Amino acid sequence: MNKILPLAVMMMVVAPAWAQTAPKGDPDNGRKVYLADGCFQCHGRVGQGGLMTGPAPILAQTKLPYAAFTRQLRNPINDMPPYPAKLLPDQEMADIYAFLQSLPGRRPVKDIPILDKN
Amino acid sequence: MSQDGQSKNDGHKDRVGRRGFLKGAGATGAALGASIAAPAAAQAPAAPTRSAGPPDIAAETLPPAPDSQQQSSSGGDFMVDVLKTIGFDYVTQTPASTFRGLHEAIINYGGNKAPELLSCVHEEIAVAMAHGYAKIENKPMAVMVQSTVGLQHASMALYNAYCDQAPIYMIAGNLTDSTKRLFGFEHAHSAIDPAVIVRDFVKWDDQPGSLQHFSESAIRAYKIAMTPPYGPVLLTVDGELQENSIPNRAALTIPPVARVAPLQGDSGAVAETARLLAAAENPVIIADRLARTQDGMDRLIELAEVLQCPVVDAGGRSNFPTRHGLNHSGRSGALLAQADVIVGLEVNDFFNTLHALSDRIERRSRQITKPGAKIINITARDLSPRSNYQDFGRYQPIDLTIPADGQDTLPSLIEAVRKLIDGGRKSALEARGQRLVQIHNTMIENWKSDATLGWDMTPVSLGRLCAEVFDQIKNDDWSMVGNGIRVTWPRRLWRFDKNYRWIGSSGGSGIGYNVAASLGAALANRKHGRLSVSIQGDGDLMFSPGTLWTAAHHQIPILYVMHNNRAWHQEVMYLQAMCNRHGRGVTNAHIGTTITDPNIDYAMMAKSMGVYAEGPITNAKDIAPALKRALAVVRKGEPALVDVVTDVR
Repeated sequence: MNKILPLAVMMMVVAPAWAQTAPKGDPDNGRKVYLADGCFQCHGRVGQGGLMTGPAPILAQTKLPYAAFTRQLRNPINDMPPYPAKLLPDQEMADIYAFLQSLPGRRPVKDIPILDKN
Repeated sequence: MSQDGQSKNDGHKDRVGRRGFLKGAGATGAALGASIAAPAAAQAPAAPTRSAGPPDIAAETLPPAPDSQQQSSSGGDFMVDVLKTIGFDYVTQTPASTFRGLHEAIINYGGNKAPELLSCVHEEIAVAMAHGYAKIENKPMAVMVQSTVGLQHASMALYNAYCDQAPIYMIAGNLTDSTKRLFGFEHAHSAIDPAVIVRDFVKWDDQPGSLQHFSESAIRAYKIAMTPPYGPVLLTVDGELQENSIPNRAALTIPPVARVAPLQGDSGAVAETARLLAAAENPVIIADRLARTQDGMDRLIELAEVLQCPVVDAGGRSNFPTRHGLNHSGRSGALLAQADVIVGLEVNDFFNTLHALSDRIERRSRQITKPGAKIINITARDLSPRSNYQDFGRYQPIDLTIPADGQDTLPSLIEAVRKLIDGGRKSALEARGQRLVQIHNTMIENWKSDATLGWDMTPVSLGRLCAEVFDQIKNDDWSMVGNGIRVTWPRRLWRFDKNYRWIGSSGGSGIGYNVAASLGAALANRKHGRLSVSIQGDGDLMFSPGTLWTAAHHQIPILYVMHNNRAWHQEVMYLQAMCNRHGRGVTNAHIGTTITDPNIDYAMMAKSMGVYAEGPITNAKDIAPALKRALAVVRKGEPALVDVVTDVR
């Protein structure tokens, strides 16, 4: 938790506009919930998305506004399973959102020769 | 072979071939028969007046009535002549008594060449190997199975091949005459109509009653298998017919193998299709099980370039180069929503292609094409319909169906289109093409960027895994012969520029296909000097793990790279959907869907069957060195496996 607190504080400072309306979340707990509730089974352990399901959108540093994010969890469109409040309380949604914002995003392709040159 | 691996005949300078041996044996047998005949005749009742008396010691100690011990020919030999006439390179099998006659004829009379006999530890492997082989070599491999238990084992793989329109040449040994069956199992291993269990998913079958009948049906079966739509055929062959001698070889004939002319579409319908395509503002071509050979890919490129038309490669075969600017497979939804003319070429499931489907409590489908879009389908599939199994999909209304082979029809369609495009139209099409190329290039860059997400994660991301594999094989003449990840990342990151770069999927989605079909395709690639690579799911491997032994035994070069997510993961997600549908949470969704506790050591398993193997690898940085070592083995002509523990999807 000691490691997480600075990250959460940092997020409050640097969080992008789409995330600023989100309630404060605990990214460490968000990671635990993200794994325990099976989000990773479609979206990948670091939110890299999945091509074989849907496809499942990329969630790392998602630009989905928090309101849309919660709406998709409660009443999902397409084939995503619904997560009602009794399975996923509001605070845990906020934690997951914080976790997703804390994930490292894309790297420049030019920094990875086997992607850049192939 | 003796236990030390040495043939009993090794070192015998006076080794005698089977023909020479039988020739001599025949003469000996005749002499032996003559020597036995005399005393046998002598023991016949001398006179009806002779009454019961003391035992006739001489009669009771004499050998039984003469029974021919050897023969100089067999029906199996003739069957081999027929198989050689057709031109089979290989026959796969798991040994069984009901085809022992043909088995022996292949390895001795036929010299175990063309066809060469391959050993498999399960009939499903034997058929799946033939499935993969056919898609590289564009011709069938023969498969011998026992008619009841063997054919039942084989049936799953046969169903995949049927759905995938792959030619397979099945020969099922059977004991038709119940008076010729000796042991209990021989009755259990016989049926009056063995083919009935697979008749719904073979194109044609027969049960020849004589050798001449076999000859004619064998040629007919080959022709049917190789006439579009391709598919499996089955001959049930009696054991006695295989084993007994040939009464009169000179009277038997083998018909020539018929050439099958291209199955082109009706010229009027092709001309109408060309007019629609040439006039369309937003045409789309969808190709699925289209390109059987490189010519199919080359013709599709030509058609697309003449029209400057985007192509959606649905992946049933390698139809269109992934880095061609007109390849827009990654944005089919957007394309189809704008399309005014859609031409399908051997599209497997047109309804699914043109609709968005939703797996919810109420299953829904929504048409994604705009009203008035003209839809044309060129496919041979309608020429060989079946009723029971529903692989033909939901009915899709079509404006024009052309019942013909897609690849065979492309030349006339290209010619018809060319005639319609004048200078002015050509300029407009070129402008469209330039826009499409720009979109394509942006799509490729975005995909590469997507692959950077989770680049260093543990377990390994699929994007990283596929990027690492391609980097190691890109300078080889590679062929991706199997893919347990629905060819997702490879089609984004790899340069598929030949028809043999990818062979399509199972057809019927029957698990156990990938590992064995990959090996069959690798066998076909061997003579072309290609490097065969298969991305192998763990769930699929555990259906047919014995495939690895066949790979080692027959020294078939192939690299298996494990996508080891320790689950039948599609089912994990289905279970999660069911759990949440009932508001019960996903905590128990792993029960019955995962392959853990204990984790399987696939490298150890492969090594136990003589395959070079490394893993399990969990750190992405270890992948490249392991691939280099494994590929060094493969390039020497042997199989290898690298087990990589991956993220789930």
